[in-house]
Amino acid sequence: MKILRIIGIIIVVGIVLFVGLAFLLNQRPSSPFDGVAAVTAPQYPVEEASYVARLADCVACHSLPGEAPFAGGLPMGSPLGVMYATNITPDKATGIGNYTLADFDNAVRRGVAKDGHRLYPSMPYPSYSKMTDEDIKKLYDYFMFAVEPVAKPNQETGIPFPLNMRWPLAFWNVVFAPTKVYENKPEQSAEWNRGAYLVQGAGHCGSCHTERGLAIQEVALDESSDAYLSGALLDGWHASNLRGNQATGLGRWSEDDIVQLLKTGRNKHATVFGTMLEAFNNSTQFMTDEDLKSIAVYLKSLPPRGADPQWTYDDATKVAFAGNDMTAPGSSLYLTQCSNCHGRDGLGRGALQPPLAGNPTVIGQNAESIINILLNGAGRMVVDGVPDSYRMTPFRVLLRDDQIAEIATFIRSSWGNDAPAVTAAEVAKLREDTDPTSDHVIVLNMR
Amino acid sequence: MAVNLMINGKATEVDADPQTPLLWVLRDHLGMTGTKFGCGIAQCGACTVHIDGVATRSCQFPLEAAEGVKITTIEGLSPDSSHPLQKLWVEFNVPQCGYCQSGMLMAAAALLEEIPNPTDEDIDQYVSNICRCGTYTRVRAAIHKAADMMKA
Repeated sequence: MKILRIIGIIIVVGIVLFVGLAFLLNQRPSSPFDGVAAVTAPQYPVEEASYVARLADCVACHSLPGEAPFAGGLPMGSPLGVMYATNITPDKATGIGNYTLADFDNAVRRGVAKDGHRLYPSMPYPSYSKMTDEDIKKLYDYFMFAVEPVAKPNQETGIPFPLNMRWPLAFWNVVFAPTKVYENKPEQSAEWNRGAYLVQGAGHCGSCHTERGLAIQEVALDESSDAYLSGALLDGWHASNLRGNQATGLGRWSEDDIVQLLKTGRNKHATVFGTMLEAFNNSTQFMTDEDLKSIAVYLKSLPPRGADPQWTYDDATKVAFAGNDMTAPGSSLYLTQCSNCHGRDGLGRGALQPPLAGNPTVIGQNAESIINILLNGAGRMVVDGVPDSYRMTPFRVLLRDDQIAEIATFIRSSWGNDAPAVTAAEVAKLREDTDPTSDHVIVLNMR
Repeated sequence: MAVNLMINGKATEVDADPQTPLLWVLRDHLGMTGTKFGCGIAQCGACTVHIDGVATRSCQFPLEAAEGVKITTIEGLSPDSSHPLQKLWVEFNVPQCGYCQSGMLMAAAALLEEIPNPTDEDIDQYVSNICRCGTYTRVRAAIHKAADMMKA
């Protein structure tokens, strides 16, 4: 009896603590904008306000292709279930039209909605928390006064009870989400600091390019760890290593190369593709040259992670082709399917046909991107409103799994490239995962 | 932007966006319409020209990469249609509708330069052009005959 009473007390105390804690955790955080007068008219020129929205690339996730911008609805996968980006147009009933500046700030920088519910960290508020008060004010300006309101109710997540309770995210936030605006490092140049601010804050580059830990947190949010921006898997792609590694990172790129890629989508080393296309189409091409330069300066300051093998061109493959030596598996397929654009020398053609020789994506340990782009081709790059004329063709219907694996293995081991082979099973898996008619197609993941 | 090209042994200056595909430059800017547009994605081979002697799909070859290389088009394969392949193309009645054939000829000519005595497998590999009329068997026969003739 005594034991039962003790258990009973423990349960009751547990419930009280649980409910109390849940209540406390649903309190809204404080904002520097608490108590400021309602903003009833734009405070900044619209170009300045919209520029911050470009930097943060809100449109990529908060819109559905072909529908009204910022009206939400984009599904995002998670191990727990699908979630949907929300309507962030200033519609009063279904959007954020009733948000005060402080409410807006809490959502963007703290991950807490106006009604107190916690946002999932697919919203990159751990990065946005580094944005300055002024940039938040500009962003608020943009969404309140420049975006068209759209009446479109938000969709419930597909995450089942009890996992759909959001209050535990408050604990997650305490551990993983910083709450401090970016602070300039006095020992670094103004350019470096601007770059760090853009990359870590609004640009939220780490959301894709930094690997995530067990709690799906980014394992690093700044350059203090060499895991930061060292590449990560998502959405069936491998977001590349942006650190100084010679073979697989940006070690062989100049600052100008980085600027050119972010401005035009291409440079002599690589082309944007996969999920980076969205970031390029919607965000980086609209950044000023000064900001792009700052980003380049910051990225080039990140030292290589781990072993840092060099890459050097080896013309043995080119010589073999010239001598009609087709003994290397995959060489015959490469000749008929790939060499017309990428060349027998694997060097591509200037900035418009990317090289495969020494391409960081081709020689990365992880072959996910290479398999994916061979199967599904590249998406549409749009520069200055004009779709590109040079685009990777999808080979999904033309080539079998074993043929794609053979080509991938060939390009990963030719011209001095030295990356592990690809198996037909790996291709089969990604083919299935990216089949638009399958019921478990990869949807967008955490950003 | 003005770009200097070397086409069929003749220096030619073209003023076009450096991103323009070489095929468009040939057909639209220079009026050299022997080279055909097929798929536009470097698959079918109708637009094949020689770049430094190598058969190349010109629809995916940017103008900016064409400076400083030697370009040969169907118009420059021979001055008077006297290339053995051109003669055999007539003798064997290779073309049916003919649309893909200028590309086919350029691919076949490049093959014979690289491999003077090609096997059927070599032909399949190096002449990956697509012919909607299915002239492949006659293409293959003409290439073999040309190899014999050129050896002699």
